[in-house]
Amino acid sequence: MTVGINLLEIRDLTIDFHTDEGLVRAVDNLSLSIRPAEVMGLVGESGSGKSVTAKTIMRLAPDNAVVQHLSQITLNHQGQDVNVLKLRGRDLRLVRGNAVSMIFQEPMASFAPAIRISDQIIQTMQIHLGYSKDQARRVGIELFDRVGIVDPAKRFDQYVFELSGGMRQRAMIAMALSTQPKLLIADEPTTALDVTIQAQVLDLMMELREQMGMAMLFITHDLGVVSKIADNVTVMQRGKAVEVGSAERVLFQPQHPYTRRLLDALPHLENLPEAPRHTPEPLLSVKNLSVSYPTSGKGRKTELFTAVKNISLDLPEGQIIGLVGESGSGKTSLGKAMLGAAPISSGGVQYHNTEKKVTFGVGKPVKRKHLARTAQLVFQDPYSSLNPRMTARDIIAEPLEAMRLTKSREETDQKVIEVAKRCHIEVEHLRRFPHAFSGGQRQRISIARALVCKPKFIVADESVAALDVSIQAEILNLLKELKEELGLTILFISHDLSVIANLCDWVCVMRHGELVEQGSVRQIFLNPQQAYTQKLISSIALLDAKESRSHRSPEWPCMAEQSVSVVSCERV
Amino acid sequence: MNALLARFGRKSKQTKNDESYYTAGQMALIKARFKHKTSGVVAAWILGTMVLMGFFAPFFSPVDPTIRGADAEYRRGAPQMIYFWDDNGFSLRPFSYTYKKVNAKIDLKALAGGGLDALDAFIASGALSSSSQNKFEIDKNNRRYVQFFVKGWDYSLIDLSVGSLDLDFRWDRHLFGVERGQIHLMGTDEDGKDVFSRTLHAVWVTISIAIVALIVKLFVSLFVGGVSGYFGGRVDTIMMSITEAVRVIPPIPIYLACAVALAHIDLTPVQRYFAIAVVIGALDFATLGRRLRTHILTERNQDYVLAAKLCGSSTRRIIWRHLIPSFTSYIIVDTLINFPYVILAETSLSFLGLGLTEPVNSLGVLLQKAQDPDIQQNMVWQFFPVLVFVFLIMAFVFVGDALRDAADPYSEKK
Amino acid sequence: MITQFLLDTWLLWLLLGVGGLLWWGGRDSQYVNYVFNRYLLALATLVLVSGIVFSLMEVLPGDCAEKYIAYKNTQGETITEADIQAERVRMGLDKSLPERWGRWVTNLTLRGDLGFSCAKRQSVNLALGNRFWMSFMFCIAGLMFSYLIAVPFGILSAFTINKPWTDKNPQHSKAEQLAGTAVLSLQKVVDLLLRIISYLGLALPNFLLALTIILLYVFAGEPMPTGLFSDQWVNVPWFGPDGFETGKFYDFLGHIWLPIFVIGWSATALQLQTVRALVVDESNKLYVDAARARGVDGLTLWAGYPVRHSISPLFNSIGFDFQRVFNDLPIVAVVIGLTDSAALLIEALSMTNDQELAAAILFLVALVVISMNFMTDVVLAAIDPRVRKSVLGNG
Repeated sequence: MTVGINLLEIRDLTIDFHTDEGLVRAVDNLSLSIRPAEVMGLVGESGSGKSVTAKTIMRLAPDNAVVQHLSQITLNHQGQDVNVLKLRGRDLRLVRGNAVSMIFQEPMASFAPAIRISDQIIQTMQIHLGYSKDQARRVGIELFDRVGIVDPAKRFDQYVFELSGGMRQRAMIAMALSTQPKLLIADEPTTALDVTIQAQVLDLMMELREQMGMAMLFITHDLGVVSKIADNVTVMQRGKAVEVGSAERVLFQPQHPYTRRLLDALPHLENLPEAPRHTPEPLLSVKNLSVSYPTSGKGRKTELFTAVKNISLDLPEGQIIGLVGESGSGKTSLGKAMLGAAPISSGGVQYHNTEKKVTFGVGKPVKRKHLARTAQLVFQDPYSSLNPRMTARDIIAEPLEAMRLTKSREETDQKVIEVAKRCHIEVEHLRRFPHAFSGGQRQRISIARALVCKPKFIVADESVAALDVSIQAEILNLLKELKEELGLTILFISHDLSVIANLCDWVCVMRHGELVEQGSVRQIFLNPQQAYTQKLISSIALLDAKESRSHRSPEWPCMAEQSVSVVSCERV
Repeated sequence: MNALLARFGRKSKQTKNDESYYTAGQMALIKARFKHKTSGVVAAWILGTMVLMGFFAPFFSPVDPTIRGADAEYRRGAPQMIYFWDDNGFSLRPFSYTYKKVNAKIDLKALAGGGLDALDAFIASGALSSSSQNKFEIDKNNRRYVQFFVKGWDYSLIDLSVGSLDLDFRWDRHLFGVERGQIHLMGTDEDGKDVFSRTLHAVWVTISIAIVALIVKLFVSLFVGGVSGYFGGRVDTIMMSITEAVRVIPPIPIYLACAVALAHIDLTPVQRYFAIAVVIGALDFATLGRRLRTHILTERNQDYVLAAKLCGSSTRRIIWRHLIPSFTSYIIVDTLINFPYVILAETSLSFLGLGLTEPVNSLGVLLQKAQDPDIQQNMVWQFFPVLVFVFLIMAFVFVGDALRDAADPYSEKK
Repeated sequence: MITQFLLDTWLLWLLLGVGGLLWWGGRDSQYVNYVFNRYLLALATLVLVSGIVFSLMEVLPGDCAEKYIAYKNTQGETITEADIQAERVRMGLDKSLPERWGRWVTNLTLRGDLGFSCAKRQSVNLALGNRFWMSFMFCIAGLMFSYLIAVPFGILSAFTINKPWTDKNPQHSKAEQLAGTAVLSLQKVVDLLLRIISYLGLALPNFLLALTIILLYVFAGEPMPTGLFSDQWVNVPWFGPDGFETGKFYDFLGHIWLPIFVIGWSATALQLQTVRALVVDESNKLYVDAARARGVDGLTLWAGYPVRHSISPLFNSIGFDFQRVFNDLPIVAVVIGLTDSAALLIEALSMTNDQELAAAILFLVALVVISMNFMTDVVLAAIDPRVRKSVLGNG
């Protein structure tokens, strides 16, 4: 393949949307090009327009999207230039599955739930390659094997909900590759996965790409992932491309302030804070705590599923403690148990240094009023944790009004305004409803609600997981501020190690309901003792230094050798 | 996706209703989305007009629909048209003609001489039938001009009387009428009662029965669904079993049985009216009750309910403040969607003669008359209520459809 | 003697046997356990229904003894009050409601005996004959008719639901836009017309519809298609000397289309709304987009993805659709002059006050509906993996 001709070329792409709020511009004059067998990383946060662009390449934009007149998308297929935007009818199949394939963020949601995976893959191959059923079946099982699914023949005939998370993603990759596309569009394929599985899937994708010589458009908000996989990078902000260039240059010598902001949000393992001289007094102690949920077992018996197995833990006061684990480790259950919101089957929780004594556990029910003024919870999902029918002011005032802590409406309003200001929520916005706020703003409202009755302890359950990186940084800074100013103790639950590294003082690692290791953030990240912790730390997607990048194949010499001004290899 | 975009994307031009969108509560959002559905809006206008005309029926009807207003001179009469021009010239004011009853001639002399055969022939000729007895002659030279805001029969505009306190506001103006005598836009029935006026009044009676029935239904469903959803477990299983059992039985035979039972008790027409509405409403709690229960079961586990609990909210507060508002919009939409079915139930009952009966004005009663072959052949204009009925139901159904499409603005959360 | 007893109580043993088998199988398999639970629930609901129906029929005035006395009166015998009381005791009518109900239920489960109709002076089973089967056939046929119309129309309607009226896509040339607008508008208009027609079926009360059709026949001068057979064929048996009487069959078809059409049309409206809502919900889900991204398009896409996933809820509602259709049947039967069990029901309720017959018919309807619900639940849990997962937990 000649280096000069582009596989895909996008010029002046402009897309508007008809929404309840009026005409919204999603993509603004975007120009982008991808060469054959090249990986383009498309970076941006939500609202940047990256997903819409990808969908428009495959002509899958929703009905209320309007692609403006001057936009152009050209695909080079078998030597011919094809105008993608003018394709009609059966010709659309070219960009849908034939030359261009897509893998989605949610593999569970992208397979039809009631149809076997085999039927779906075979159908795809029949449409594009004209294989017979048996032939397609053979190829399909082979692909399953290639993507690393154990026992491929059995898994091929199953339904999607019978596979585990990582396997589903692999199955989706297999399906996308079944038609041997020239361009693979990957829309946030690893965002929903655990860190260890993420690393495996990324390696798989790189391997396959090498073998098949496929170009990739890799869409993500995670710069660490981009650094591992991309040759060129385009950074998008609010529909515009703000920075374009080789991965080398963009990641290590960013020019645009937005790119710099994104890079700042990655973990800096170089300057982790030192542990304080003496560990402060514990604010709360957990002794022999177990949390069990009843589930339906085989036949008629109900079984108990133990999420947290006999954990004892002390949380030091005034620090931000990180609770790390993959999905299923029981970290959410533990956090909720500390607030009396999970079924405790043994052991108990005790708070120290509080006005009124707060302990609870098996045999001792929770005294909600006391506990509510000592500890609060900030939820993961900013959309479902706020009542959509209440104004922001009412939501924040809920604890005060529910527990009758204030005597008049003015007093309540005053307290609400005070806490809103502290959380950087504008006062005029208080009379709006949740649907008017973005994810980050909603989390602020959640935090304000948690703060309004001045608790000592806050559990933040994956509170920034659903947010964009730059917004995450703001919320994390807010939490740090609150710790400094108010002396709050915060338990930060997350599966994202990079966030923990940036934020916490003390870290606890959990796996399958048990506490694997705990220590100061320096200890855990720089000197992990347990094997599991070591595995976790090594799979963090950090900015890869230049050494690993030079392992790239020699077809693209300009990328590996030079680090600045690779103008001749770019097409801006 | 596009919703996500709308939340985070910047606008290319500031829309002036930004703030109003942000501060719009749930009902306002639903209204905004409803406005985009053309069929729903058109149907809503038609529906609104009909309901209004029904509510202010006395104002819109030129003639008193009860037996008091029966026109003895114009029984079984065909509709009296309103014209703007005729052979005598054009007139800006609409007018109608004078109708005079033709005295049917019976040739008695011929009878007298003919014996039985003549009698047979006479009867067979149909000269004695009511249709030929009630023929009317149109006098085209005698115009009666239509007048507006006419003084006519006296009626009660709004009756707010409570107990012995009499707050009955009476009025006697009507939208239109004619100079002399009465105008019958849709003809009259056997007793001379005006069909048009009866229909208008019937619309309101039918709708009000439906409203009563739906309110009863709402309360029963709320109780069943609420208790079931909130307590869950055993209580839920028992209540749902009872609901299923009731749901399985076809309702019309049950209404029939109740109607028969009611027929044996002495009730005034008004009491019977309420009793029927209550029966229809109370037996129909199954679907709504079940939906509410499912809704409560899921909402109970939502994050924001847990958040409220952690904030120290009492159970009662959670129910009032959080759970109940979550299904208000659903209830409103469901009620509107169910209007036509309730109306149909009442109509079916009346059709079988077991609901409301003459002389009460309800659409069901008027429709029952359509069964009579005499009416079918001779007084086709009495099918006018059928037309109105069909329009009413269709309007309800289309509005319900559009509302259901517009209903949950929070479904596009993610 | 024992064999006689067993034969008499065959229904009871059948029920127990099935229950036992299910319980045994349910110890290991979650699915069989589910079936067992549903079976128990169905039986319990049936018992509840019988209780409700029985007590409701008490509402009808006049009890068996009085009717017997009335009958005797017509025979010309004079009866005293004491005779009425004695008659009551003899029939067991002086016992309390729960006792009488218990007796009724045991008769039913042990022997399949639906009771004794006092108004007709014969066993209910005899009075019903095969009329319930007739009603059943009508309802099923009406339902089939309505599904045949509602399902494709509902899908079509779902297809046009969020499409705009005009084509304003700047990517298309002016000519293409015009063509696009024409197609879109046509789709919208067709959808609107279909909906209006189907809702008319709801709005026009079916008695009116039946009346209108009969009127049309009257005006046309043709013989009215009332009843099941025209006069010449009524008494001809199905199997005559020459074999199957095809003439009778054609006559039957010529009459039967009327009630099926009338019942079917009004059922269509509700199905249409349901199908439309279901398909729209499914087509907004991600997997449809994912399928489109793989190049599946047109009919294959619609049929294979959203529609296929909407079938289960639709299938599940068959039981209640049947109940709704049967609900409409009595009035239609009266207007058209059918002689099936729905007509019997009306007669029993409004004219002869025949409690036993009415209760039996209602119970049978409930039985059909509950069995349909049971079967559809069980079948769906076996076939549809989503249902299986949600119902069985981690099956």
